[in-house]
Amino acid sequence: MNLYLKLLSGSLRSRMQYKMNFLVSSLSYGLIMAVDFILLAAILQRFDDVKGWNLYEVGLLYGISSVAITLYRVFCVEVHNFERYMVEGEFDSLLIRPVSPLSLLLTKNIDLSRIGGTIQGILILVISIIGLKLNNVELFLLLIYLPVTIISGLLICFSLGLITATIAFWTQRIKDFQTFTLYAPFNAANYPMNIYPGWLKIIFFTVIPVGFMNYTPVLFLLNKGGDVWNLALPPLVSIVFLFIALRFWMFGIRHYHSTGS
Amino acid sequence: MVYWILLQKSFMRNMQYKVAHLINNAASAIFGFVFIAIWVGVLQGKENDSPYTALDMTFYIAAVQCILWLSGFLTAGLNIHNGIRNGAISLELARPTNFFLYVTSQEAGRLVYNLFFRFLPIGLVFSLTVGFYIPQHILTYFFLCISILFAMIISINLHYLVGISACWTTEIDWAHFVNFTLLVGLGGQLVPIDLLPTPLSSITPYLPFAGAIYYPVMIFLEKSSSEVILIQLVWVVVLTCFNLWLTEKARHKLEIQGG
Repeated sequence: MNLYLKLLSGSLRSRMQYKMNFLVSSLSYGLIMAVDFILLAAILQRFDDVKGWNLYEVGLLYGISSVAITLYRVFCVEVHNFERYMVEGEFDSLLIRPVSPLSLLLTKNIDLSRIGGTIQGILILVISIIGLKLNNVELFLLLIYLPVTIISGLLICFSLGLITATIAFWTQRIKDFQTFTLYAPFNAANYPMNIYPGWLKIIFFTVIPVGFMNYTPVLFLLNKGGDVWNLALPPLVSIVFLFIALRFWMFGIRHYHSTGS
Repeated sequence: MVYWILLQKSFMRNMQYKVAHLINNAASAIFGFVFIAIWVGVLQGKENDSPYTALDMTFYIAAVQCILWLSGFLTAGLNIHNGIRNGAISLELARPTNFFLYVTSQEAGRLVYNLFFRFLPIGLVFSLTVGFYIPQHILTYFFLCISILFAMIISINLHYLVGISACWTTEIDWAHFVNFTLLVGLGGQLVPIDLLPTPLSSITPYLPFAGAIYYPVMIFLEKSSSEVILIQLVWVVVLTCFNLWLTEKARHKLEIQGG
């Protein structure tokens, strides 16, 4: 943990060597993440709701999803950019260290320029929670549960990222897979799942289970349906999915063949 | 013609990755389905209050998702900034070719590739799932071709502008983010710009971003007159002239060190 904190401060110091670039990059990344929401706000200002979900209710989903994926982009940058290790043959150097390759990847680097997206997500959450005008009990329950749903989302995102990275053991390049396994599903998770056709819903509640991250608990927390089990499902699903992803990663490492020299 | 050969080579280079690109197309289609679902959900029971029906918006989003591959998803800074970082720009600017055409012809080759392996397959997916609008007037096809060509030139110019700015700023990540955000936000990717709140809906029709996405789509859907091509033409001329001027400025700024 000490090592990780040192890495964190080192990464922050190195980014601060180019303060202006760091600030503008973070700000512009936050801006690009926010633009979809601003456009959605423009739509809902005119048409009130999307299948019974108003702007603040969608904002809650949007904020949770945004914070989860941007935290993944900040802290799991080497897992996300794993294809570099395959294309440039750097993975061999991880295998000969006395620590597991995954631990090395997770502690090697962090990408603080993505933190702007996290701040933007938190801002949307704050605005949405204020706009929802919940009573004290509902607000207390939501605030208590919010960290659980964000951590569950982060674990689901990390698991999807790890599964995609594992594919690189066979395909080398994974950037195009990531659009399919991460960007598109997390974009979909910004909005309520009841707007999607059945086949998309099946995908988002099974093979790419992003629907459990925010939609399932928020349904119950906003009195839109479900029961207390809706609150238990996100952590349960994320832990099971993480277990599957780790097993697949180990399977991938066992089948890794170095290109040699 | 050297620029034609560069275009062909760029097309062939992209052919190496066509399987990965076909997988990516599936994701692009999912983005489209998500946006279509949002609009169908929003317009359910409210079509009378909207200038667009749910079917209109389905066709609109399907067309946008296709055209994004011709005028939205271009190479960041057209890779000019990489040449500035590793010094290759000095050789590229010293070549007896026009640097602007040298860079843009390579991107044009990539866009021609995108036409066959991105635009058409995604269009086919939408045609088979949610349907696709078929223009009723023969002239529409003619104006559509011109509008798409202008949209590509506008977008190439915007990305070139971001790339060449690296001669002064070195880093272009933030400029690319901002350019892309404006392109999709004010270009009408999710919301047709006439539905944006005022004053945005009054200003955006005259900005280049609308010319890159919104106008070709509206011409395709026969919801806009062909006169909007004139707005696109103005931006084509203005941006091209500005970039040529900026390239000359960059050439004068260039310092070659070492020996």
